[in-house]
Amino acid sequence: MSQKKRQKPVVWVEQILLKMLPHQDEEEPASYRGSSGSCPGTVRKMPYLGSEDVVKELKKALCNPHIQADRLRYRNVIQRVIRYMTQGLDMSGVFMEMVKASATVDIVQKKLVYLYMCTYAPLKPDLALLAINTLCKDCSDPNPMVRGLALRSMCSLRMPGVQEYIQQPILNGLRDKASYVRRVAVLGCAKMHNLHGDSEVDGALVNELYSLLRDQDPIVVVNCLRSLEEILKQEGGIVINKPIAHHLLNRMSKLDQWGQAEVLNFLLRYQPRSEEELFDILNLLDSFLKSGSPGVVMGATKLFLILAKKFPHVQTDVLVRVKGPLLAACSSESRELCFVALCHVRQILHSLPGHFSSHYKKFFCSYSEPHYIKLQKVEVLCELVNDENVQQVLEELRGYCTDVSADFAQAAIFAIGSIARTYTDQCVQILTELLGLRQEHITTVVVQTFRDLVWLCPQCTEAVCQALPGCEENIQDSEGKQALIWLLGVHGERIPNAPYVLEDFVENVKSETFPAVKMELLTALLRLFLSRPAECQDMLGRLLYYCIEEEKDMAVRDRGLFYYRLLLVGIDEVKRILCSPKSDPTLGLLEDPAERPVNSWASDFNTLVPVYGKSRWATISKCHGAERCGPELPKTSSFAASGPLIPEENKERVQEVPDSGALMLVPNLQLTADYFEKTWLSLKVAHQQVLPWQGEFHPDTLQMALQVVNIQTIAMSRAGARPWKAYLSAQDDTGCLFLTELLWKPENSEMQISVKQNETRTETLKSFISVLETVIGTIEEIKS
Amino acid sequence: MSASAVFILDVKGKPLISRNYKGDVPMSKIEHFMPLLVQREEEGALTPLLSYGEVHFLWIKHSNLYLVATTLKNANASLVYSFLYKTVEVFCEYFKELEEESIRDNFVIVYELLDELMDFGFPQTTDSKILQEYITQQSNKLETGKSRVPPTVTNAVSWRSEGIKYKKNEVFIDVIESVNLLVNANGSVLLSEIVGTIKLKVFLSGMPELRLGLNDRVLFELTGRSKNKSVELEDVKFHQCVRLSRFDNDRTISFIPPDGDFELMSYRLSTQVKPLIWIESVIEKFSHSRVEIMVKAKGQFKKQSVANGVEISVPVPSDADSPRFKTSVGSAKYVPEKNVVIWSIKSFPGGKEYLMRAHFGLPSVEKEEVEGRPPIGVKFEIPYFTVSGIQVRYMKIIEKSGYQALPWVRYITQSGDYQLRTS
Repeated sequence: MSQKKRQKPVVWVEQILLKMLPHQDEEEPASYRGSSGSCPGTVRKMPYLGSEDVVKELKKALCNPHIQADRLRYRNVIQRVIRYMTQGLDMSGVFMEMVKASATVDIVQKKLVYLYMCTYAPLKPDLALLAINTLCKDCSDPNPMVRGLALRSMCSLRMPGVQEYIQQPILNGLRDKASYVRRVAVLGCAKMHNLHGDSEVDGALVNELYSLLRDQDPIVVVNCLRSLEEILKQEGGIVINKPIAHHLLNRMSKLDQWGQAEVLNFLLRYQPRSEEELFDILNLLDSFLKSGSPGVVMGATKLFLILAKKFPHVQTDVLVRVKGPLLAACSSESRELCFVALCHVRQILHSLPGHFSSHYKKFFCSYSEPHYIKLQKVEVLCELVNDENVQQVLEELRGYCTDVSADFAQAAIFAIGSIARTYTDQCVQILTELLGLRQEHITTVVVQTFRDLVWLCPQCTEAVCQALPGCEENIQDSEGKQALIWLLGVHGERIPNAPYVLEDFVENVKSETFPAVKMELLTALLRLFLSRPAECQDMLGRLLYYCIEEEKDMAVRDRGLFYYRLLLVGIDEVKRILCSPKSDPTLGLLEDPAERPVNSWASDFNTLVPVYGKSRWATISKCHGAERCGPELPKTSSFAASGPLIPEENKERVQEVPDSGALMLVPNLQLTADYFEKTWLSLKVAHQQVLPWQGEFHPDTLQMALQVVNIQTIAMSRAGARPWKAYLSAQDDTGCLFLTELLWKPENSEMQISVKQNETRTETLKSFISVLETVIGTIEEIKS
Repeated sequence: MSASAVFILDVKGKPLISRNYKGDVPMSKIEHFMPLLVQREEEGALTPLLSYGEVHFLWIKHSNLYLVATTLKNANASLVYSFLYKTVEVFCEYFKELEEESIRDNFVIVYELLDELMDFGFPQTTDSKILQEYITQQSNKLETGKSRVPPTVTNAVSWRSEGIKYKKNEVFIDVIESVNLLVNANGSVLLSEIVGTIKLKVFLSGMPELRLGLNDRVLFELTGRSKNKSVELEDVKFHQCVRLSRFDNDRTISFIPPDGDFELMSYRLSTQVKPLIWIESVIEKFSHSRVEIMVKAKGQFKKQSVANGVEISVPVPSDADSPRFKTSVGSAKYVPEKNVVIWSIKSFPGGKEYLMRAHFGLPSVEKEEVEGRPPIGVKFEIPYFTVSGIQVRYMKIIEKSGYQALPWVRYITQSGDYQLRTS
C-alpha cells in the first residue's frame, strides 16, 4: 500500500488531503487504500524508482502554507516522512522543511521531527545546527515532557560541533525540578562526553553527577551511575566508596529491576572494610537472591560470590540459596531466560558437581522445547548424575537417543558415553542395545563413544569388542569409520571377524572419499597384522601398494611409505614403534580437572561468557581483537617511528600479511654470523634489485619491521655510516634459506637488494622479494 | 546491561523499525543477523545469542517478529532478554497483539515507546501503566499543547499515581495454581509441581495500605498456630510494591498496590500431589492399515469439584486419514494441522472415569521421514479449588480517608505444562 502511495502524483495527494476530514487523519492509510482502489486509471510509476519523487512531493507538501495552517494535515505529511524513513528511504532531502516543522505545540509532531533530526543529523550537520535553536528553546519550555524530549534529542544528534550548544542545556537540566528532565540530562552528560571523543573529563560535571547520586528519583540515581561509568571509563570507571556504597544499599528497595541489577553490578567493585561490614551487606541484600526478576537474582548471586571470595562456605551457602530461583528460571516461560539459567547451572556444576543432583527431574526435556534448551539440559544431566539418580537419568537419556532429531539423539548418546566413565557397565549395555537399532546416525556415534571409552575405561574392552561385529554395515561418515577402524586395529585380536571387516575397507579404498579414513586404515591394518599376520599380510600388501602407487593425497601416501620402510627395517622395529606403551589414562590428562574453585568463574558469572561457553567466548573475543586492528592494516599507520613499531596486538596480524603467497617464513631462525658468512660466500646472487630511497634512514626501525615478518638481521652498519650495509637471513618452512644484503647509497638515493638462496626456487624467491619490498616500502612511506 | 540498538525485524529479517540508542554499532550490522541465524539453524547450533565480529545479537521471537538487541559489551544476558520481553509486554498492552501489522500501523507510538523505554542503551520507564499515562493511543487527537507530566513519572511510589478515585472501593483477589506434570510412557510421574500466582484487580481510591494474610506454614509456626492447616510456600516472589524486609522479618505481606491489574506474588510447591487428571492410553499402530487409540481419563480430585473445559489432545500420525471416534462423554475432533485428536469434555466431576476410542486409516505406502513421539497434553480448569490448600485468611485495607473496601477472593486450579508421554 505504501508503494502505491509513493507513486501518486502530487496533485492527487493534494486532492486526497483536501478530501479528508480533520478527525479522520489517523485513517489516512485506509482512505488512501480506498481511493486508489476507486481510481484505477491513476498513472503509476515503477515502485522504488524514485525516492527523489517522493521527497519532491513531500517537500512541496511541507512548504504548502495551506497544509502548514492545518495542523492535522501538516502532521500527516510529517508522519509520511517518518514512515518512509522507517522503510529505509533516504528522506534527508526535506531536512530544512522538517526543522521548520519542529516549531509546534503538538508534542507528538515534535517527537517525530526530533526523531527525524537525530536520524539525519550526521548526514546534514550544517543544517542540523539550524535546529539547535528550536531545541534550545524547547529546553526551557514550561512542560517538563517537552524539556526532556528536547534535551534527549539534542544530546542524541551525534554530529561534530554540537557539544558547545548542548553543554548549557545539560547543566540546566541537571538542576531541573522535574526528575524526568534530570534523568535525561544525567545520561546526556555521558552522550556529550562520547561526542567529545576521548577528551578531558570535566571535573565540575563529574562532581555534579556524584552529588546527584543523592537525588530523590531512583532512575536519576541509577542513570548517574551509568553516566559516570561512561565518562570515567578511561580511569577505570566510577569509584564506589563507603558512603556511596551504603547510600546505594539503602536505596535498593526503591529501584526497579533494571536499577537493582545495575546497582548490584556497581557494588561489585566495593571492598568492605571489615568482615562485619561484609556480612552486614550480605544480610541487607539477602532478599534480592529471591527477587522475581532473574536478572536481579543473577546479579545478587554474583555480588555475593565476589564479596565472599575469601569465605568458601558462604559461597556454597549462597549457591544453595539461589538453587530455587535458578531452577525456577530453568523452567521459565521465556526460553531465552531458561537457556541463560541452564548455562549458569552448568557453570555451578563445574564446582559443585552434586549441587542439583536431587533436582535432576527438572532437567528432563519436554517435547516442544527448542533444541538449544534440550542440548543444555542433556549436558546438565550428565554432569549431575550420581549413585541415586543414575538409573533414572540413564533411562531418560536412552529415550532421547531415538529422538527424531538426529542432532539431539547424538547429543544424548555422547552424554551416555560421558556418564560411562563412571557407570561403565550400565552405559555400555545401553549403547550396545542402541546398535541393534541399525540406524546410521546412532551407530556412528555409539562407535565413537566406544572408541573413547575403551581408552579411558579399559575394563569395558571385552564388552565393546563383542558389540562391534555388524556395525560396519551402518556407518557411512568419516568420524564413525575412523572410530570403528581404530577399534578393529587396536583390539582386533579379540574380534574374530576384524580382518574381514578391514578387508572390505581395503577393497573399497579407491572409492573412499576421506583421507583421514585411509590413514586410520593403514595404521589399523598394520597393527592387526602384528597380532594376526596370516590373515592380514596379503591385504596389507595391497593397501600399501595402493597408497604408495595410486593414492593422490600426499599425507596418506607419506604414511604408506613410512609404514613400508618401517616394515623393511623389521617386524621388531614395527612393534616397538606401533605398540610402545601408551600414556596412562588414569593420569587424568584427558579428564576434566575435577572441581574448579568457585572463584575461577565468579567474575564471569552473569556475563555472556557462560552463555557462549568459555572456549567459544575465547575465540569470539580473540576475533574481536583481530577485527579491531584489521581495518588499520592497509594503511600501516601503526608503523610510527617513535613509539613501539607495531602494537603488541597487531603483531600476529602483520605476520599473516606476507603469508598470502605460498611463502611461510619460520620465526626465531637462529643463524650464527660465521655460518651466514660461509653460506653467503658459497652461493651466487639469485636476485638483485634496486629500490628508491630518499632522505634519512633509521636502521632500528627497519630491523624491527623485518623482525615482525620473521626476517632476522645478522649484521648491519652503524647508523649514519655511508654507504650503509645490512645482512639479513630468513628461512621458509621447507628449509629454504634466504640470505640478503642491503646496500644503501645515499648519494644515489637508492637501496640495492641482493638475495641468495640455498635451493633454487623461483616461486618462493619472488614471494620473499615481495615481502622485503613491502617492508622497505612501508618504512619509506612512513619516513616521508 | 546496555544495548547499543534495538531492532524489530519481520520474519525474513527485514527491519520494520529500529532505534539506535548508543551509536557505537553501525545499524547496517543487522543485515548479518538473519543469514547468521539461518546458518546456525542449519548447523543445529542455534542459540538466543549470536555474534558477528564484535557485535553480539541477543534475540527473542514473538509471533512473526524478531526482537533483537545489539551490544558490544559483555552484557548481562538475562537482563537484556528480560528487557526485550518487557518491550513485547508493553507493546502488547498497547496494541493487544504484537505482530508485523500492528508495528506498521502504529509506528508513531512504537517510536514514542522505544524512546521512553530506553535511553542511551539503559532501560528507563518500562512500566506500561505509567507509560500509558502519557503516551496514549489517542495521541493522534490533537492536544492543546499542555500535555501534563503524569505524577508517577516523578513519584516516590513509582507504581501508583496520587489522586486516584473510585466510587466503590473493591479489590478482587485471584488465587491461581497451575499444575505442571510430566509423566513417562510407562506411567511413572517424572515431574509434578505447582506454580501459584496471586493476582489482584484493585479499584481503590487514594494511597491505600494493604495487608494480605495467608495460611503460610512459616507464619503459623512463628505465631504458634502450627496445628492449623497450612501450606509451605517455596520460592516466593513478590511484585515490587511488597515490602520485602517486612516479609523477611515476620512474613507479613504489606504493600501499596498499583492501580488495576497486577500480579502480587508467585510461589512454587514441589510437593508430590496425585495427578489431577490421569490418562491411560493405548495407541496401536498397524503399519499400512490403521491406528487404534484408546484413552481413559480419570478425575483424581474431590468429588465435589468439577473440572471445566477439559481438553485432551492425543497425537496421531501425520498421514492418518478417515477418523472415527467413540466417546463415553464429550466430543472428539480431529485437528489435522496439528496432527492431534482433541477430546473435549465440558464438565468433568472428580472421581469419574471416561473413555474415548479413535480409529484412523493409514495409507498403504508409508512415508519416508520418521516422526517424533509427541506427548498427550491435557488442559483443564477447576474452580473453587487449590491443590496446595492455600487460603486467603484476610485482606486488610487501610486508607487515611478511612473508607470501607470489599475484598473478593476466587480460587482456580488449572493445567500448566501438563504432559504424558506416549510410547
